[in-house]
Amino acid sequence: MSVNEKFLSIRKGLLEFLLLKIIAADKVYVADILRQLKETEFATQEGTLYPLLSKMRREKLLDYEWQESEAGPPRKYYQLTTRGRERLRETTEYWQKISGTVKDLGQPL
Amino acid sequence: MNKVITINLNGQAYQLEEGGYDALRAYLDGAARRLEGNPDRDEIIADIEQAIADKCRALLSAHKTVVVTKEIEQIVAEMGPVEDASGEAPRAAAAGAAGSAKDPGATRAGEPSAEPGPARRLYRIYPEGAMLSGVCNGLAAYLNLDVALVRVLFCLTCFFWGFGVLLYILMVIIIPPARTSAEKSAAFGAAATAQEFIRRAKEGYYEGLKTFSDKHAHREWRRRFKDEMRNWRRTFRREMRDNAYRGHPNWAPGPGPGPGAWVMLPLVSLLHSALVFLWVCMLISLLAKGTIFGLMPPADLPVWATILILFLLFGFVSWPLKALRHACYYQASYGRSGAPPVVWLWEVMVWVAFAVALGVLASHHFPQLKDALQNLPDVVHDAVDAFRRWWAKP
Repeated sequence: MSVNEKFLSIRKGLLEFLLLKIIAADKVYVADILRQLKETEFATQEGTLYPLLSKMRREKLLDYEWQESEAGPPRKYYQLTTRGRERLRETTEYWQKISGTVKDLGQPL
Repeated sequence: MNKVITINLNGQAYQLEEGGYDALRAYLDGAARRLEGNPDRDEIIADIEQAIADKCRALLSAHKTVVVTKEIEQIVAEMGPVEDASGEAPRAAAAGAAGSAKDPGATRAGEPSAEPGPARRLYRIYPEGAMLSGVCNGLAAYLNLDVALVRVLFCLTCFFWGFGVLLYILMVIIIPPARTSAEKSAAFGAAATAQEFIRRAKEGYYEGLKTFSDKHAHREWRRRFKDEMRNWRRTFRREMRDNAYRGHPNWAPGPGPGPGAWVMLPLVSLLHSALVFLWVCMLISLLAKGTIFGLMPPADLPVWATILILFLLFGFVSWPLKALRHACYYQASYGRSGAPPVVWLWEVMVWVAFAVALGVLASHHFPQLKDALQNLPDVVHDAVDAFRRWWAKP
């Protein structure tokens, strides 16, 4: 897992941003989120995701509602709150700004 | 056929094998511990149990009503360790003291370590903050001391006939470097606080110490034995000294170390230490590159034979130096039972100072030395493997 170790801090910083984007696109539940992330570099586990989602909910960025599912108990479906959308917009602006900096500063990419 | 335990996961009953139950219990206890102080702890645990239940249900069917241990282990591996997202609780829970979980910024290496208590392990920490190859660095992290203090103490061990240098090289080979972030946080490990000891006791860390009473008696006996030996030695010495005066006037103590000895002795020992240093360099260059400063050893001589030859050569060349040294001591101890300790101290101080200065200078000017020292464990293992292969050849 040596490659993952190297860029761990970058991924950790961006995970929350990605979660906001994923949840903004559609109402999702945790297994859905994991499935979307699985094919990417950000593949993660329930152990990481649950505490992170609960922290974001404490900060009032998300909310969930229970929905019945055909096979099994009800699931939590997450969606963004207004504050969450606000945060997503801010982070997107910031991301574009710093990605411009990364491109222009120092050795050209 | 194994025992089956029925558990309740979020209101549904599941049947697990006993081994699987233990694994799951350990996982959930670990999660509860790491989430201590998190206001949403119960909810997160409930969510995790639900996720586990979902995964279990996927494995069950009309013909399979029990989840086996291997499947539980797989599920736990998939879920991954529960990391407290706020990053505060793990360190604070380990430090425990004030019982409050609001202690941000307490993480040491800045790593997002989720483990509240990997037992503290001894690693070499290289290259962050290491001077030569991180031995004292890692030792300081383990003992929770200042690095400079550990380095000074280490140099002091060089007083015992240069033992420290050999010890250092041994440690470079034996102690593993901390490479992954898990190892790095384990190097600083759980603080030695009451909380940590309680945790360890609960996990059976101290089971091996149960034979306390025997050890106590053993220790008592050893102490008494040492005292006896010390007394015996003292009376022996006293008697020898008395006899020397009484029976043999020729053995009156001589003039003591002549003026020449004070100068010659350190010179000789300087030469000796320079020789040792040269020899170590040759050894390292041989192990690292297969050549001695650019000279190729004879082609089909295996590495270990060259090393042996080097040992012999060194012994041969340093023999006259050793003889000189003994002569100085002999002169100094004429008529006494041994050289006055100050001579020995003087020599060792000079030797140590020179050796350490040379070592540090060399490592500054020749970065290859540092790299070579880093490669040393691998190189030694390669050499051992080569020897083993040669030995195994029919």
